[in-house]
Amino acid sequence: MTYDYHEPREVAEALHLLVKHGEDAHLIAGGTATVLLLRQGLIRPGHVISLRAIGALSGIGRAPDGGLRIGATATHRQAERSADVRALSPALTNAFASVATVRIRNQATVGGSLAHADPAQDPPPMLAALGAAVTIVSPRGARSIAVEDLAVDHFTTTLAGDEIITEVIVPPLAPGTRATYVKFLPRTADDYATVSVAAAMRLADGAVADARIVLGAVGPTPIRARAAEAALAGAKPSRERLAQAAALVRDEVDPLDDLRGSAEYKREMARVWTERALLALVEA
Amino acid sequence: MKLAQTVTVKAPRDKVWGIVLDVPAAARCVPGVASVRPAGSDRYQGTLAVQIGPVRLVLDGDIAITARDEKAGTASFRADAKDSRVGGAIKATVDLALADRSGATDIKIATDLQVLGRLGEFGQPVIKRKADQMMGDFAECLARAVAGR
Repeated sequence: MTYDYHEPREVAEALHLLVKHGEDAHLIAGGTATVLLLRQGLIRPGHVISLRAIGALSGIGRAPDGGLRIGATATHRQAERSADVRALSPALTNAFASVATVRIRNQATVGGSLAHADPAQDPPPMLAALGAAVTIVSPRGARSIAVEDLAVDHFTTTLAGDEIITEVIVPPLAPGTRATYVKFLPRTADDYATVSVAAAMRLADGAVADARIVLGAVGPTPIRARAAEAALAGAKPSRERLAQAAALVRDEVDPLDDLRGSAEYKREMARVWTERALLALVEA
Repeated sequence: MKLAQTVTVKAPRDKVWGIVLDVPAAARCVPGVASVRPAGSDRYQGTLAVQIGPVRLVLDGDIAITARDEKAGTASFRADAKDSRVGGAIKATVDLALADRSGATDIKIATDLQVLGRLGEFGQPVIKRKADQMMGDFAECLARAVAGR
């Protein structure tokens, strides 16, 4: 395993290297995913381009509109401890704090995890439920894409080979919005989720004005539960209604049989944990 | 791991039989197959490129027809391929069964796939899903190829 290691200081320099080395290049940020792939020999790039020394990709702060900007190389630990993240949404803080262990969170970056697109990660469902978007640059310019549209399959995103995620933008939340992130961990506290549920809901005049529900670890990507959301829209959030909506996620998820349980078991757990998440929002 | 697919092709059984036993033609329907060339009686060599996220596999190997019974409409294939860069291999047996259905033909494809070496690091569930997708694409393409003959 030999490769040239590059540590550009500017985004433009990183893009230049990425274009120059094409398919022989691999980006690395925190390295928690990439180093494993390298050590297992599953990827063999000739050039590894680190994003860590690029100051413009770091940092977390409030945007002028009241939303949040999280730099692509901000670590999960920085996001978890950020007063700005907590001020916008304690549920988002909780999603970052739910990732693996402190050692991993100190290393893994927010942009890197989105690019890796493991469907069992914690922050992507929560970011999607909060309507977050990522900014992506390439030699062709910049574009923005919703977090919920970024991943398209296991470990696969819409990112082209010459694109770099620079930041995550979380929009300001409408007043009265509540959000939660719950993670079902039947084995160990640092495991990947068996099922996770991120939900955001706004009530107006006792009825659901807006609801977004995104599930993790039960499909090739985070899955937006649109049928469940539609069942809640405009409704009074009674226990019965929440249970009916949660039951719809069984048919929206697409889990795999694995050591965390059968697909059927995960469908049922998706229903149970969605109902718990929705109840938590209403009874908070 | 075992994979099962059934596809219905709007063509008579003998016509479908002709294409599925024409390995280079049928192989063109497998997404990622770069080349398939004859290597002796009922044996072929070929290359298959598969991408799962950041991991790109180039599987070199051979396919052999191990059994065929035109009257019964059944055939079996064996495929062995390895990726020398990543260090892994696949072994597969594929059983086909063709059945008439009022002018159309049902093709049942039963695959038993073994994934060996580093490729296994990926996790069998993810590989199974990828293999399922590929076999699904193969079956659909086969249906189009037969219709176009």
